Amino acid sequence: MLPILAWLVLLPVIGAAVVAVIPAQRRELLLPVGVGVSMAPLGVAGYLLWQFQTGPEFQFGSDVTLSSALDIGWRVAVDGISLFLIVLTALLFPIAIAASRSVTERLKAYLVLMLILEAGVLGVFIALDLLLFFAFFEIVLVPMFLLIRLWGSENRAYASIKFVLFTAAGSAFLLASIVALAVITGDAVGSFTSFDFRDMLAFEISETAQLWLFLGFAIAFAIKVPLFPFHTWLPDAHTEAPTAGSVILAGVLLKMGTYGLIRFNMTLFPQATVDLGFWLALLGVIGIIYGAAVAIVQPDVKRLVAYSSVSHMGFIILGMFALTSQALEGSVFQMISHGLTTGALFLLIGMIYDRTHTRKIADYGGLASVMPVYAGIFLFSAFASAGLPGLSGFIGEFTVLVGSWLTYPALAVIAGGGVILAAIYLLWAYERMFTGPTNPKLSGLSDLGLREISIMVPLVVLIVVLGVYPKPVLDRIEPSTDIILDRIERVTGYEPAEFGRADEVVEPEYGVIEHGGDESGSEGGD
Amino acid sequence: MENAAFLPVAFEVVLLAGALIVLLVAVVAGRDRRFWGPVAGLAFAAAGAVGFLQFQEVLNGDGPGLYFSSMDLTITRSPMVVMDGYSAFAAIVLGVVGFVGLLAAWDLVVAVGRRGPEFVSLALLAVAGLHMMAASPNLVVIFLGLETASIAFYVLAGFARRETGSEESALKYFLLGSLASALFLYGVALSFGATGSLTIYGANSIRDFFSTDIITEPGILLAGMALMLLGLSFKVSAAPFHQWAPDVYQGAPSGAVGLMAAGVKVAGFAAIGRIFVGGFVSQIDTWAPIIAVIAALSMIIGTVLALVQSDLKRLLAYSGVAHAGYILTGLVAGIDGIPAMWFYVATYSLMVIGAFAVISVVEGPASGAAPLESFRGLARRNGELGWIMAILMLGMSGMPFFAGFVGKLLAFVAAASVDNPWPDGSNGYLWLVVIGTLTTVIGLAFYLRVIATMFRDDGPESEVQAGLAARFAIVISAVTTVVFGIVPFPLLDVVRDALPL
Repeated sequence: MLPILAWLVLLPVIGAAVVAVIPAQRRELLLPVGVGVSMAPLGVAGYLLWQFQTGPEFQFGSDVTLSSALDIGWRVAVDGISLFLIVLTALLFPIAIAASRSVTERLKAYLVLMLILEAGVLGVFIALDLLLFFAFFEIVLVPMFLLIRLWGSENRAYASIKFVLFTAAGSAFLLASIVALAVITGDAVGSFTSFDFRDMLAFEISETAQLWLFLGFAIAFAIKVPLFPFHTWLPDAHTEAPTAGSVILAGVLLKMGTYGLIRFNMTLFPQATVDLGFWLALLGVIGIIYGAAVAIVQPDVKRLVAYSSVSHMGFIILGMFALTSQALEGSVFQMISHGLTTGALFLLIGMIYDRTHTRKIADYGGLASVMPVYAGIFLFSAFASAGLPGLSGFIGEFTVLVGSWLTYPALAVIAGGGVILAAIYLLWAYERMFTGPTNPKLSGLSDLGLREISIMVPLVVLIVVLGVYPKPVLDRIEPSTDIILDRIERVTGYEPAEFGRADEVVEPEYGVIEHGGDESGSEGGD
Repeated sequence: MENAAFLPVAFEVVLLAGALIVLLVAVVAGRDRRFWGPVAGLAFAAAGAVGFLQFQEVLNGDGPGLYFSSMDLTITRSPMVVMDGYSAFAAIVLGVVGFVGLLAAWDLVVAVGRRGPEFVSLALLAVAGLHMMAASPNLVVIFLGLETASIAFYVLAGFARRETGSEESALKYFLLGSLASALFLYGVALSFGATGSLTIYGANSIRDFFSTDIITEPGILLAGMALMLLGLSFKVSAAPFHQWAPDVYQGAPSGAVGLMAAGVKVAGFAAIGRIFVGGFVSQIDTWAPIIAVIAALSMIIGTVLALVQSDLKRLLAYSGVAHAGYILTGLVAGIDGIPAMWFYVATYSLMVIGAFAVISVVEGPASGAAPLESFRGLARRNGELGWIMAILMLGMSGMPFFAGFVGKLLAFVAAASVDNPWPDGSNGYLWLVVIGTLTTVIGLAFYLRVIATMFRDDGPESEVQAGLAARFAIVISAVTTVVFGIVPFPLLDVVRDALPL
C-alpha cells in the first residue's frame, strides 16, 4: 500500500489512463468519467483535512530515497500552508472539468491533459525535495500550454507560447539556483549533492549565496504569481484559455508562485528575505494599484478579471513580505480566497460566453432581467472578489492590510486604495453588463440550468463559510506561517513590530510526522 | 602480440562478421531480404549482448584491462584495446543504437532495392568503427575507428543517389569531414611530438608522461589537444564546427540520418571522454575552459538558429548542436561528468533515431527536405505518431519526467559542482549552467512549435502509415524516453560504473 500522498498524485494519473481507454463510440461517457475520476483526489484531500493535526509539523510525510548518488528522493509532506492549497486544487479541478461542456473536439485529450495538470499541481504542493518540486513545477507547463493552444480562442497561438516562454524563463533561473543550492547543501552535509529541503534548513547559507539564490528563486516565482512587472503574460493567457484553463490558471497555478515564495524563499533564505522584503512588498503594492487601474478600462470582461488577479495577487505578496504574523497568515488565506472568488468569476464568464460568444462588456446590458439567477451569482462573486465583509475576500485582504500596516504603514494605505478600485471596476462592469436597457440580442438567453448552478454552489458556499467563520482555517495556517517567521526572527535578529511577532514555536522544529508506517521504502511512486 | 583475448574485441568481430555474412548471403540469396535482413539485426543484437558481457566481466570478473599490447621495442608495450566500464557501456549503447537505427532505416533499405545489402553492411561496418573510438587507448586506432565510421557514413549520406540533395549532402559531409579527420590526425601527431606517446594507458603512455615530466613549453601540446578537440567537435557537431550538420541532415535520406546522427554523437563523445578525461586528465585546467566555451557556443548557436528553421531536419540538426553543448557542459567536470555524458548520450541517441524515423515515415525514407508544413495536423492523420513525436520533442526539450531532463540535470550538477562554485563564485562553471538552463527555455519554443504544428486542425489530409519496423523503432525510442525520465535510477547506477580506466 502506497503512502497517502503518493495516491494524491497517482490518482489523477490513473484517472487519465482510465479516460484514455474509453472507446471512441462511448464519447458520452467521457465527461462524466472525467469528473468522476477527478473527484478521487478530492477524497484524499478531504481525508488529509480530516486527519490534519493543528501544529507546525509537516504531516503525512514519506521519505524514499530515489537516487542515493545525487540524494534525490520522494520526499513529501503537508503542513498548514500546503494543506488548504491541496484542498483548493482538488476542489477546483472537478468543478473546472464539469464546466467543460462546451469542449466538443478532442474531448478525450482535453480530459487527459486536465488530469495530468492536476497531478502536477498537487505534486508541487506536497514536494519537499527541491528537484521533485521543480519537476512538478515545470511539467505543469506542458498540459497548460496544450490546453491554451488547442482549445483556446482566436489569439491562442500567441498567448500559449508567451505563457510558456515567460514562465519557463523563470524556471531557468530556478533550476540553476536549485542545482547551485544542492551543491552547497551537499558540501554542508557531506555528500555530493542534496536536494532535501530539511538538509537545507540544517545549516546556514552564506549571505552572498542567500542573496543570489533568493533572486534566482524569486524571479521564477514572481513570473508565476505574476508580480508587476512580470505580469504581461497573464492577461493574454487568461483571456485566450478555455474556461477551465482560466479557472485553474487563476485558481491554483498562480498559487504555485506564492507558495514557492513562502515555502522556499522565506524559509531557506531568511537574511535575504529581510534585506529584500521591502522591494518585493513594494512591487506587490504597485501590482495592486496597477492591476486595478488597468482592470477599470478593460473592454473585455475576461481581461478585466485577469487584471484583477494581478491586483489581488499583489495583496498576497504584500502580506508575505510585511513579515508579521497576521499579514503572512492573511496572505495564505487570501490565496485560498482568491482561488474561490476568481475561479467563480471565470466560471461565470465561461457560462455566458458559451451562450453569446462574446466577452465584450459593450455587447451586454440589462442581463439582470433576462438571467436573474446568473446576475445574482455574478454580483455575489464580484462582491466576494472586491472584499465585502462577510465574504472570504474580506478576511484575506483585511488581515493582510492590518498586518502590513505594522511594518509598512504607507504601503498599507496605498494598498487599501486597491480595495476601493476593486469595488469600482467590478461594480462598474456589473452595471454595464447587467443593468440598464436590455440588449435585444440577449433577450432569448436562458438562465443558468441546474447543472450550472450546482457547479457554482460549492464555491458560493465556501466563500460564505470562509467569510463568516474563517477560524478553523486560520488556526491551521497560523502555526505553519509562524514557524517561518520565527525562524527569520531567530536567524537574522529581525524585530517585527510589536503585535506582529510570531508565536514562539516549540521544538521539534520542522519535524516530519511519518504517517502510518510509510517506511517500507520499496516503492517510489509518481 | 601479448594478452590477446576475444571478449575485448568481440563487438567489432561480431559486426564485421555480420557485414561479411550479409554480403555473402546477398550474393547467394539475391534480393530476398528475408535472408540477410535478420543477419544484420542479429549482429547488432549480438553486439549489444557482447557489451553486456563485457560490462559483467569488468564489474564482476577480472576488472578492466588492456589488451593486444605491441611487442615493438621502440614504443614499448603499447596496448591497442582497452576493456573497461566505459568501452563496455559504449558497446551496449552502440548495439542498441545500431539495432534501433536499422529498424528505423528499414523502409529505406526496402526502397533502395538491390543495394539493400550494401546499405546494411555499411551500417554494420560504421558501428564497428564507432566502437573502436571508445575502446582503444591508442590515438591512431581511435583515428582508424573514426575513419572507418566516417567513410561508411559518407556513403550512407549519399545513398539516395537519385536525389540531388543526397549527393550534395554526401559530398559536403565528405569534404568537411575529411578536413576534420585530417585536423584530428595532425593533433595526434603534435601530441605525440609533445609527449612521445600515442597511447593513453600503460607503460610509456601519455598519462605516464604527465606523471613524471613537467612541460615547460606547452605550445605543441596545446596545439595538439586543440586540434584533436576541434576534429572531434566537428564530428559531434559542436559549435562553431557545426555548419555541415544542417545541410547533411537535410540532404541525406531521412531513413539513414537517425543512425548517422546518433551513432556519431555516441562515439564522438566517447572519444572526447577517453582522450581528454582519460589521457589528458592532468591537463584538465587547460582543456576544461576550452570545452566550456565550445559548450556555451553550441548551446547558444544551436538553440537560436533552431528557432528560425522551417525544415524539421534542419531544426533537429541545430537542436543537435545545442545537445552537444549540454553534453560538453557535463564534461567540464572531468571524471565526474562521465556518468552525465553517458546518460545523456544513451537517451538522446534513441530520441534522435525516433524523431528521424517519424520524419522518414511522414516524408518517405529517401526524402531530403522535411518542411515543417508537411507535419501540420499529423496528430489527426496518425494519432499514435503525433503523440509519440510530441513525447520525443518534450524529451529533447528537457521537460521533467522525460529522459532529456535527467541528462541535462546530471550535466548541470556536474558542472556546478566543479570547485564548489559558492561563495567565491569565481572558479565554478555556474555561468555555464545558467546559459544551459536559459537555452533550455528558448529551446522549448521550437520544440513546442513542432508539437503545436502537429496538433493543428488543418494541413494535408493524406493518411500516414508507418511500417512495422519503423513503428518498432519509434515506440522503443518513446518508451525509453518516458521510462528513463520517470525511473532513471537503474540507468543512473549503471552509468556510474561506466568510467574510463
